[in-house]
Amino acid sequence: MDLTLILFIILAVTAIATALGLLISRNAVYAALFLVMNFACVAIFYLLLGAPFIAMAQVTVYAGAIMVLFLFVIMLLGAEKLPKGDVLPVQRPLAIGAAVILLAEAVILLVQRFQSTAMLQAPGTVENSMDSLREMSGLLFTEYLLPFEVTSILLLVAMVGAIVLTKQEKGTRG
Amino acid sequence: MTTILPILPELLLLALGILILTLDPFLKKDEARRPFLGWFTVASLLAALTVSLLLARPAGAALAFGGMIRFDWLGFLFKMFFLFAAAVTALLFMDADKLNRRAEAYFLLVAAALGMCLMASAADLVMLYLAIETTSIPLYILAGFLKTDDKSTESGFKYMLFGALTSAVLLYGFSLVYGFTGKTNLYELGLHFSNFNIVAIGVTFLILAGLAFKVSLFPFHFWAPDVYEGAPTPVAGFLSTASKAAGFAVLIRLFTAVFPVLNADWSLILAILATLTMTVGNLIALTQKSVKRMLAYSSIAHAGYAMIGVVAFSELGMASVVFYLIAYALTNLLAFGIVGIVGRAAGSDEFSAYNGLSRRSAGLGLAALVAFLSLAGMPPFVGFVSKFFVFAAAVQSGWVWLAIVGVLNSIVGLYYYLNVLKAVYLYRMENEDEDRHPVPVSRPAAIALVILVAGILLIGTLFGPWFGLATRAAAALF
Repeated sequence: MDLTLILFIILAVTAIATALGLLISRNAVYAALFLVMNFACVAIFYLLLGAPFIAMAQVTVYAGAIMVLFLFVIMLLGAEKLPKGDVLPVQRPLAIGAAVILLAEAVILLVQRFQSTAMLQAPGTVENSMDSLREMSGLLFTEYLLPFEVTSILLLVAMVGAIVLTKQEKGTRG
Repeated sequence: MTTILPILPELLLLALGILILTLDPFLKKDEARRPFLGWFTVASLLAALTVSLLLARPAGAALAFGGMIRFDWLGFLFKMFFLFAAAVTALLFMDADKLNRRAEAYFLLVAAALGMCLMASAADLVMLYLAIETTSIPLYILAGFLKTDDKSTESGFKYMLFGALTSAVLLYGFSLVYGFTGKTNLYELGLHFSNFNIVAIGVTFLILAGLAFKVSLFPFHFWAPDVYEGAPTPVAGFLSTASKAAGFAVLIRLFTAVFPVLNADWSLILAILATLTMTVGNLIALTQKSVKRMLAYSSIAHAGYAMIGVVAFSELGMASVVFYLIAYALTNLLAFGIVGIVGRAAGSDEFSAYNGLSRRSAGLGLAALVAFLSLAGMPPFVGFVSKFFVFAAAVQSGWVWLAIVGVLNSIVGLYYYLNVLKAVYLYRMENEDEDRHPVPVSRPAAIALVILVAGILLIGTLFGPWFGLATRAAAALF
């Protein structure tokens, strides 16, 4: 049993536990914090898989920016305590059915995977280093320059839109 | 210099957008100078149109910017058309109460036009998706621009929810394409979809669903009437014309580049979709009481007519689609322009608001005659020629029944378009005192209407050179 496998098992258990905590928790703040933990675990998975850039992006974008925003919204709305929601009559059987199907899919895939060795090979050729990051930035500023710049226009539009839709106008409630 | 030529219109639009935002604070103080914003936008858009026409004409078809866009006549023709449509819409914006003094409205219009230009020339899935979002997001905001108006808010919100959902479906399709082929360039993908298999069916279905929303094809048309009805009228006009044309530009590029071999199997499905789109749009339009809503359903029907050309899948078919979209857009911009003016004067979009319009304003009555007869497909207006080419393409490719369905549908359309004209010309206002209720037409709106009427007559009578352009655009596809 090597170190990676031990690390993986610990992380996997934590990831599943936090995901369950997110679902079960009745307090929105706890749920959000569970989600942060979950994101952190997934980020380390990416590191184990040899994708440092995605791991960093996961931490900064999801665990950092987006979850902070979530917490702010929850705080500002004062929606920490979720009310006991009404459960639709079909909801439970439907959920159980969907869960069974997904589980069956996962099991079938796993069995297939262990039967054929071809699928066990890791995708891609990039080694676990910062080379992939350099390669990606190179692509971003050569081949994908135009989409990259268009993204910034899109962000500008979104910003203008947010201001238009939220700014209070004179004489109105806004 | 030559490297930026393929995106020259986009660069000019970007510069214009930033200029509008920078000019805005300087005009804030003086209310009297606010109309300058509108005139500035219109003049700049026309200038951008002229400059691009003179400098940025493509010589042949070539991929540019690392394969992200394709510099060809199809993209170019659509781009020029989007610039024109944006200029006309900006003129109509100047007549709309809550839009005309807001720099943000003009900025968002320019940004949407920029997105459409990119949509028309995108040749890579990454670029295509970004272009679609750059088009859609400003349009969501414009549709919900009148924050104090519940209908407009509803319209913007519905449009955004539906749009986000179908974008997700589209993106899922794109991601599957990438997953299966490892390529994102449309012109490299074509080689991978050379045989018909289950994966291709799924992927095509997802992508088709996403695009069908953008052009409001049959099972994905539900959003259109509510969105058009609630959105500010000039925005609705822009949505139903330029946005739809952009969707079709993507559709025909994608279907000719990526799935040419699949076409034989898909034609029948597309033909059925076209039939249903036409029929459903027309039949529901029959029962409408609001002209704006009627136009929304009629725009669904028109997407069906345009689809006939796609089904034909020949060079003539694609040329007829391009021609149809431009013809329809001219006509519908005019129709929505009239609805905007009447709606502003009467405070309602009901048919009864149009009673005696020809006596209240002879010019507006004439414009309505041109717009609605052209929508119905009567000669000598452009609506007739464009329908003729679409049906001709269908017959040429052996889709005779589809052409017949199209003709029958046009007859249904004629009925409800003439209903509007009946109110305009034959009915009188309640007290028969039309003289005392003139309909004010502001100068920008008048200019827009005159340009559109002239365009409809010009392209409708001298259609040869214009159809030549459309053929040239279609030739770039094959």
